[in-house]
Amino acid sequence: MTGSKGIAAARLSAARQHAPSILVAALSAAFGVSLLQITGALAAVIAADDLTGSSSMVALVLAMLGFVFIAIAVYVGAVVTSNTFATIVAGRTRTIALLRLVGASARSRRRAIAREGLAVGVVGSVLGALLGTGVSAALLAVAVAGGHAPALPYDLAPPVVVLPIIAVILTTWLASWVGSRRVLDVSPLQALSGSTELRHEELRGRRGRNAAALALLVLGALLLAAGIVIGSLNPIGILPAVLGGMLSFSGLVLGAGLVMPPALRAVGRILGSRLFGGGAAARLAALNAVRYPERSTRTTIGLVIGVGLVSMFAVAAATYRQVLGSAFDDPEMAAQLDTVITTTVVIFSALLGFSALIAAVGLVNSLSLSVLQRTRELGLLRALGFTAAQLRRMIAVESAQLTAAAVLVGLAVGIFYGWAGAQSLLSSMPGAPAFILPVVPWQLVLGTAVAAALLTLAATVVPSRSATRVSPVRALATE
Amino acid sequence: MEITTTDLGLVARVANLSKSYGRGDTAVTALDDVSVGIRPHEFTAVMGPSGSGKSTLMHIMAGLDSPSGGRVWLGDTEITTLGDARLTELRRRRVGFVFQSFNLVPTLDVLGNILLPFELDGRRPSPDDRLRIDGLVDSLGLRERLRHRPHELSGGQQQRVAIVRALGTRPDLVFADEPTGNLDSRSGREVLGLLRSACRDYGQSIAMVTHDPVAASYADRIVFLADGRVVEDRGPSSAAEISDYMLGMEGAA
Repeated sequence: MTGSKGIAAARLSAARQHAPSILVAALSAAFGVSLLQITGALAAVIAADDLTGSSSMVALVLAMLGFVFIAIAVYVGAVVTSNTFATIVAGRTRTIALLRLVGASARSRRRAIAREGLAVGVVGSVLGALLGTGVSAALLAVAVAGGHAPALPYDLAPPVVVLPIIAVILTTWLASWVGSRRVLDVSPLQALSGSTELRHEELRGRRGRNAAALALLVLGALLLAAGIVIGSLNPIGILPAVLGGMLSFSGLVLGAGLVMPPALRAVGRILGSRLFGGGAAARLAALNAVRYPERSTRTTIGLVIGVGLVSMFAVAAATYRQVLGSAFDDPEMAAQLDTVITTTVVIFSALLGFSALIAAVGLVNSLSLSVLQRTRELGLLRALGFTAAQLRRMIAVESAQLTAAAVLVGLAVGIFYGWAGAQSLLSSMPGAPAFILPVVPWQLVLGTAVAAALLTLAATVVPSRSATRVSPVRALATE
Repeated sequence: MEITTTDLGLVARVANLSKSYGRGDTAVTALDDVSVGIRPHEFTAVMGPSGSGKSTLMHIMAGLDSPSGGRVWLGDTEITTLGDARLTELRRRRVGFVFQSFNLVPTLDVLGNILLPFELDGRRPSPDDRLRIDGLVDSLGLRERLRHRPHELSGGQQQRVAIVRALGTRPDLVFADEPTGNLDSRSGREVLGLLRSACRDYGQSIAMVTHDPVAASYADRIVFLADGRVVEDRGPSSAAEISDYMLGMEGAA
């Protein structure tokens, strides 16, 4: 291969590696831009029809709500991207070591990767902004044509849409910086050493982080408990409960490295022994899913956040409806309340579900990358007598394990927070029981189960195709 | 009725085997009309310089790669035309492998790696298998290591585990591809001694690919390849004799 061709090929492979991160950045930016444009349009509609004079207040509330959802999506996107970068760095260990060997400093290598991250953020968020604007324009056109919205001169480029664009660029850049931390651990000697697997991910330097997570969890749990106790006397209990919920959930996300690996192991035991009848494929899959605890944690935590928030709102709303519904005698009012609650839940689920979608993209990509990095091991397994079908099953079980663990933890967390919210808000109401049982809507359970199955399938297809396409001889020859 | 591999007193053979990669002007011939048989209960070394086709020959004989022309038998089974699933099953039951490096599955401990071929086959080792594996584990000093993972072992220990795994299923043939290529000379001699005694004490048939004259000197028979053809087939030789022959090959080329 000639020099310029070689460089072009390297650029192309780097671009391909970054495609999923660009997609994540584009999704986050599109979501943010579109949400702000649409809430802006809603505010314009209300302002045009302003009878109460409170339209600016409504616009502010809408924008604030919008920012909360955008912040969640951007955060999940950043976690996903930092994981993708960490996985890419792990795959490039040998190349980085080689560059170190001929004199490159670790810091310069890390800066180079962060520059790639900045480029990914810029490209992704510009694409996303265009995409989001297109979606908003289309939605508004449909709404106006259908007579659901007045034909106003909607402004699709209010200055505020710059905020999500910049936020996505900065968080993608930051995520690539965080994800490339392991570059500093690569020693030049690794370019020369042969056979043993490189231990690029140890859980180290985690003590401070885990202590902070624990502090947040304890403080949050205390506030949550206080909210529930106060809530039995007065609905004001919801305020400390919400604060406690935010703190403890942040603690959970921060300390995910303590929660997710045990959850993955537990799910792996069930999948390995019961559902798939054991066997080598299922057993190896269970071990693979917890092979790099840090990577698996970051792969799953985005999904935990998405599923947790969606189910929290669904459970809180369903519980609220049941408690209030039994308090109303008038069926017409009960039906009206029902509609309001259902609409709210659907809108909130869709907005929060977007974060889950970004997390799902991350999970698919993470599994594909880590299977690609195991080419040689897969070649060994094929040589020793793993059939292509066993290989596919192994990848499917691994993918099912990641998805199931994330969804189950998310559901458990969401149901708990949903219940805590309902309990602290409603238990002081006349006619409400002292202990409110959480209502888990079947649509939620069914929906997450179907989504998890689809995600498992999506995360299995690409890696198992690439894994079974390589001949054992070629796989064994890869570095 | 065709003459079988067994009739010929062989455990594996190839006839008029050829293998080329690529097409047209860029085609590279790795093997050119090779016919050779591996005898049972013998330790055969396949030697040759880099690019001589020795690894390709082994991969095809072991059912890891498919030939461009000619025929291949493992025992009395012709494997030339077998599909992927049948080949995989055959490798699992009738072939043992020891590679140069990356022999072990990193997520499994030593015992898990040793028993993997049984597990893949969905069966438990028979009492006989157990006894044999136990004996191997003890004699190779791996008893204390059974619960260790590969990255906790030295290179020599990893190769010993691979040997126990390869011998565990009592395969028709063990293929060893540069098994000492990554080892220091002491561990290398140890591994070669093990392969030789597996052959002498248990009657295991072994085919080893190597470019190291010292490694080949442990074998009962040495087949030399150059430019995709068999150029020499001889009995046990000293490392010096092998070296001399190879230097002569270089000179003739």
